[in-house]
Amino acid sequence: MTIRTRLNLWYSAILCAVALVVVAAALYHELVLEHRHHRQIVKEESERSQTGEPEINSGDLVDILTWTVTPAVVLGLAGGWWLTRRALTPVTKLTNAVEKIHEKNLGEKIPRTGNGDELDRLTEVFNDMTARLNDSFNRIREFTLHASHELKTPLTILCGETETELRDESLTSDERERLVSHLDEVRRLSKIVDGLTLLAKADAGQIALQFETVRFDELVRDNFADSQILAEPQGVQVELAACAEISVRGDRHRLRQLLLNLADNAVKYNQPNGRVTMNLRRAEGFAEFKISNSGPGIPPEILPRVFDRFFRGDPAHSQTLDGCGLGLSIAQWIASAHGGKIQVESAPSKLTTVTVRLPLT
Amino acid sequence: MRVLVVEDEKKTASFVRKALQAESFAVDVMANGEDALLAATGTPFDAIVLDIMLPGRDGLSVLRQLRERKNTTPVLLLSARGEVNERVEGLNLGADDYLPKPFELAELVARVRALVRRVGENKSVVLRVADLTLDTLTRKARRAETEIELTSREYRLLEFLMRSAGRICGRMMICEKVWDYNFDPGTNLVDVYIRRLRGKIDADFEPKLLHTVRGAGYILKEQQ
Repeated sequence: MTIRTRLNLWYSAILCAVALVVVAAALYHELVLEHRHHRQIVKEESERSQTGEPEINSGDLVDILTWTVTPAVVLGLAGGWWLTRRALTPVTKLTNAVEKIHEKNLGEKIPRTGNGDELDRLTEVFNDMTARLNDSFNRIREFTLHASHELKTPLTILCGETETELRDESLTSDERERLVSHLDEVRRLSKIVDGLTLLAKADAGQIALQFETVRFDELVRDNFADSQILAEPQGVQVELAACAEISVRGDRHRLRQLLLNLADNAVKYNQPNGRVTMNLRRAEGFAEFKISNSGPGIPPEILPRVFDRFFRGDPAHSQTLDGCGLGLSIAQWIASAHGGKIQVESAPSKLTTVTVRLPLT
Repeated sequence: MRVLVVEDEKKTASFVRKALQAESFAVDVMANGEDALLAATGTPFDAIVLDIMLPGRDGLSVLRQLRERKNTTPVLLLSARGEVNERVEGLNLGADDYLPKPFELAELVARVRALVRRVGENKSVVLRVADLTLDTLTRKARRAETEIELTSREYRLLEFLMRSAGRICGRMMICEKVWDYNFDPGTNLVDVYIRRLRGKIDADFEPKLLHTVRGAGYILKEQQ
């Protein structure tokens, strides 16, 4: 129940009560006091003569009350309704403004009325709160960016020195194995740091895309050819069901990265001898790229989280699959940086389909 | 061949120097931009490995100064920031190559080799390694007397490997030159393609030509 309705209910209840009291008082006056007075007069008059005098009927009084109190109550109610509306409009406005706040526009302020009333004060408090939140968000972004930068130097050294050691001809094959294994892990770490840096920069709005007109279908065909080769060792069949000629405005490298990330995921999370189907078509003013795979499917409870950074549906998977766990997050960023959308549909033992929609040129 | 390495991080400078020396380069190391500029203008180097983040004058400024002074020594930029824009900016300023940190040492060495050899690059139409030939006009590959069918990607990969025959090619460099990816694809795409190519040019023939260098990349050469 809204405040407005509640206020109106209380208001009308009070109004009715007041009206009732007035009516009751009037009736009491009419029926009891007047009657008593009347009887006295009648007694006195009957003692003198029996001449009639016009007297006010109690029914008339009720009529008068009905015709005066009812409009008053109705008018009062309407006025109350209007008044609460007027009083609460700034609250509705504030609610709408607050509703629009999300992590990306925390820097923006809700406009204040400046009249110093309670709602103006509330707006000010809200603004202070979002400013503080904005600060914390910025600090987290900066921290991630700095952390990934800081990690790069030691990683470079670790990688370089291990490679230098590997050049030593006198190493036994065991020692060599161990060093190569170290090197593999260092490289994995480097990939994670790379992905993290990219996303941290994207969050901070520090990545400028190189926009040009791109034949998206050519990128899809290219990606299809690579995916076939990528899928071969797992016996996964890749097919390109449709590939309409479509141009979009975008960053060629980023779009290729997007396609490769999706194809890589579709192959990696597939089952042996599974299928991957790609499809590019025009749909409602968008270039729509769909890629589905016949993997085990994603349970509904984890479906909303697949774009989260480092999120892996099955913790056991993180041990066996390579990659940095940021592929889909990066894909999502690329799609939205192009003014597009990405979404995933899946259910256990059903096809998993990722759909990317990019605005046409 | 003499290379100038400009890197303020001591350990990095040290293993880069060692690796390049192992490839019989003479290596000078400088730790800041001013010294590097002085050294580069006074001594003719065959290549310069230049870190962008340096104390005092940064790498991009050193590069700009060098080019303004008509110094055309090939420059390989190193950067921990790894931004596409920075790469474009560097290349526009006249850098010849760009390598983001953390990089692989083999990758760096291969790139420096490519820089100093760029002048004398193998430009012939028919490339040859042992009995493997690749005609870059007709795009036909032959091993001994057998003709080999190649897809266009495989062709580009083989051409790149044959042009760099005898030198280690890092995965990232292959990705860049063959796929034109300026990002780490994060897949084993290169390895899978190499495996296919190997099946075509090496499987039925002796001696094997395409070798894996563990922890570094691939190399096409006659004998291991």
